[in-house]
Amino acid sequence: FLGAGGGNDIQWCFSQVKGAVDDDVAEADIISTVEFNHSGELLATGDKGGRVVIFQQEQENKTQSHSRGEYNVYSTFQSHEPEFDYLKSLEIEEKINKIRWLPQKNAAQFLLSTNDKTIKLWKISERDKRPEGYNLKEEDGRYRDPTTVTTLRVPVFRPMDLMVEASPRRIFANAHTYHINSISINSDYETYLSADDLRINLWHLEITDRSFNIVDIKPANMEELTEVITAAEFHPNSCNTFVYSSSKGTIRLCDMRASALCDRHSKLFEEPEDPSNRSFFSEIISSISDVKFSHSGRYMMTRDYLSVKIWDLNMENRPVETYQVHEYLRSKLCSLYENDCIFDKFECCWNGSDRQIIFHRTVTFFLPSLCSIVMTGSYNNFFRMFDRNTKRDITLEASRENNKPRTVLKPRKVCASGKRKKDEISVDSLDFNKKILHTAWHPKENIIAVATTNNLYIFQDKMN
Amino acid sequence: MLGKGGKRKFDEHEDGLEGKVVSPTDGPSKVSYTLQRQTIFNISLMKLYNHRPLTEPSLQKTVLINNMLRRIQEELKQEGSLRPMFVTASQPADPLSDNFREAQPAFSHLASQPLLPTDFVSTTPLESCLTPASLLEDDTFCTSPTVQHDGPTKPPPPALQPVKDSFSSALDEIEELCPAPTSAEAVAAETAVDDSKDHASESNVQKPEGLPESRTAESKLMDSLPGNFEITTSTGFLTDLTLDDILFADIDTSMYDFDPCTSATGAASKMAPVSADELLKTLAPYSSQPVTPNQPFKMDLTELDHIMEVLVGS
Repeated sequence: FLGAGGGNDIQWCFSQVKGAVDDDVAEADIISTVEFNHSGELLATGDKGGRVVIFQQEQENKTQSHSRGEYNVYSTFQSHEPEFDYLKSLEIEEKINKIRWLPQKNAAQFLLSTNDKTIKLWKISERDKRPEGYNLKEEDGRYRDPTTVTTLRVPVFRPMDLMVEASPRRIFANAHTYHINSISINSDYETYLSADDLRINLWHLEITDRSFNIVDIKPANMEELTEVITAAEFHPNSCNTFVYSSSKGTIRLCDMRASALCDRHSKLFEEPEDPSNRSFFSEIISSISDVKFSHSGRYMMTRDYLSVKIWDLNMENRPVETYQVHEYLRSKLCSLYENDCIFDKFECCWNGSDRQIIFHRTVTFFLPSLCSIVMTGSYNNFFRMFDRNTKRDITLEASRENNKPRTVLKPRKVCASGKRKKDEISVDSLDFNKKILHTAWHPKENIIAVATTNNLYIFQDKMN
Repeated sequence: MLGKGGKRKFDEHEDGLEGKVVSPTDGPSKVSYTLQRQTIFNISLMKLYNHRPLTEPSLQKTVLINNMLRRIQEELKQEGSLRPMFVTASQPADPLSDNFREAQPAFSHLASQPLLPTDFVSTTPLESCLTPASLLEDDTFCTSPTVQHDGPTKPPPPALQPVKDSFSSALDEIEELCPAPTSAEAVAAETAVDDSKDHASESNVQKPEGLPESRTAESKLMDSLPGNFEITTSTGFLTDLTLDDILFADIDTSMYDFDPCTSATGAASKMAPVSADELLKTLAPYSSQPVTPNQPFKMDLTELDHIMEVLVGS
C-alpha cells in the first residue's frame, strides 16, 4: 500500500526564499497574507503596502525529477491604496488582510483581496499573442488612409512575450464599519462572506452595490461590547453553513437557512476553562485568531495564542485534539502583554489534500483526502507541525542560514527552563520580533510557503 | 523590549509578576498578586490611551484591554474598594489630547467620553484609600448605562451621560460631606459639555443628582473607556482642562486635605499618609519630575506636556 506521509515522515528541505535580504525591513514589505490557489500552481502574497505578488510554479522538468518546480514571480500589482476617512480623520490602511482564490473556470484566474474596508475581485489574465496585419492600421497603430488600401488580408495572431495583466473586475465597498478580518468563498462559487469585528456580510460575486448582513453582534449600547468576531469561514461542502470565531474563544456555527439574520447559532463550540491555568490573561489568550475547516468539513481547526485545537463538528463542548504550540510562553504572558505580542494573530493550516492512493491488484483506489497534519507559526521564525496520527510534532526554522536546497531542515527545540542543551534555544533568547503569522500548504503536494516578516520561504519534502 | 536574539533578563520586579496567578486569598503572596494586578492595570491604561493616532486602533485589542480593566475593577470592588479616586496626575488627560486627532465627528459618536481623573483609578490598592462608610450604602449594583433624561435635553444624551455621572456622583460625594455650591456642578457640567460642542441646558445639570445612586463605581469608570469603541481616537478627552479646573473651581477646598490620594473625595482625614506614598511610588515611573508627598496636587499644563512627551517618547 501507498499512503500519505505523516508530518515526521516528511523531510522538509529548503527550496526558495523571496524578498529583501537586508535586516532593515521596509514597512510596506511586511507580508500580511499567503495563499495557494486551488491547483497549487499559483501562490499569492499580500503585503502591508497594499501590493499582491503572485508566484507561478514552473512546469516540472521531466529530467529534474528530484525537485518540484520552482516558484517565480508571475504578476505584481497594487491592489489597494491608502485612503483617508474624512469623517473620522483617520487613515484606512492599504494592508492586504486576506487573499482568497476562486476556482478556475476559464483561462483567467480570479482572486479576492481585501484590506480593512474594501474587497476587490481581481482578474489575472495572460496575453501571449497579439494581432497583426490589420488593413486599416499600421503596425505602429497609425491609421492608414483607406484610399491607399488595394488588397485585403486577414489579421493573424502572432506570439509575443508573455504579459500578465491584473485588472479589478469588482469593487465591494462601503459595507463595513469595522475592520474586515476574513473573507471566505462559498462552495457555490457564487457568493462569499466578509467578516469584520462585529458583522458578517454575504455578497454575490456579481453584485457590488449591495450585500446582506447575516451576523450582527454589535450591542445597542457600545459600552456593553465585550466580544468581537475574529474569523469566519464557509463550510467547504455545505453552502448554507459557516462558522465564526470570537475573542472569547468561542466558535459559532450558523445555518443561513434558519433565518435571514443568523444571530442565533446552530452550534456553539466552547471549551470550559481549565481552572489550574487561570490568569489575568486567560481571556486574551483564548481569543481565536484563525479558524479553518478540514477538507471534508467534518472537522475544524482553531488557533488561539498558545495552542491549536481540532474540533469535531458533532461535539460542541470540547475539542477532540489540542496541540500546544509554545507552552513555554505561558509564564511570560505579562511581558508579552506589555509588548503587545499577546495580540499577535497566528494563522494555521491543514496539509494539502494529497489523496491516499491505494493499489490493490488491478484496482486503484483514490481515497478522500486526509487532513492529518496541521501547521502554524511561532516566534523566532519558528514554525510547528503536528501529526494527528502519530502525535508527533516538529519545530522548524525559516532562516537564510539553512538555505541549501535539498538539505533537510534540522528540527529546533526551545528550552523552557533549566539547563539548556546544546542546539537548544532558551525562551529568553527568542526573538519576538521575528514572528511567523502566515503559512500555507500546497493543496496537492508537500510544498509549504512560510512567511517571515518580509520574506517568503518555500520548503518541499525531500523526494526520493 | 525584547531584542533580536539578545538575552533578556527579567528584573526582580517582573519576576514577581510572571507565573501563575496567586490566589488573592493567600497571605504572603497576596502582595505579589496585588502588585501584579496593579501593574497589569497600569499597563492596560497606558495601552488604551497611548496609541498611534494615524489609523484606527484594533477594536479587538481595545475590547480585550477593556475587559481586563473591567475584571480588575470588579475584583477591586469586591475587595471592599469603592469609588475610584481623583488621582494620578501623571496620567494627564490634557496632554494626551495633543496626541490624538480631534476628529470631532457627529455627536452620535459619543464625542465626549472624557478622560476624567476618576477614570485613572488609583493605582494603590483601593482598600488603603478609605471611603466614608456613609457612602457605602449608596452603592447599588445595578447599571443603567443609558438612562435617558426626561425633559429638554440637548443631544447627545448618551454622550453626556457618563460625564455627568462620573463628575456629578463624585461631586455628590463632596456635597454630602460638605455643602458645596451648586455652581460646582454647573462648572463640571459645562466643562464636560464644552467638549461635545453642545451646551447642556440647566435641566441636564439637575438630572444627574438622581443618577449616581444607580451607578456603580465600575460603571463610572467603564463609561469612559468604551468611548474608544465608537470613536477610535480620544476625542473624548477634555482638551482644555486641567485637573484644577475640574476639581477645584468654586469648591470650598478649605475643608479638604490635599493629599493626592484624596483630593475631592473629602476622605482626607481618614487617609493614612502611607497610602499617598505608595501611590506616589507607583506614579513615579510615569512622572518625570519628583513628586513630594503632601504637596498640593496641582500641576500646570507645561508639566503635563512634559510628562506626556516622556510617555509617548518611550
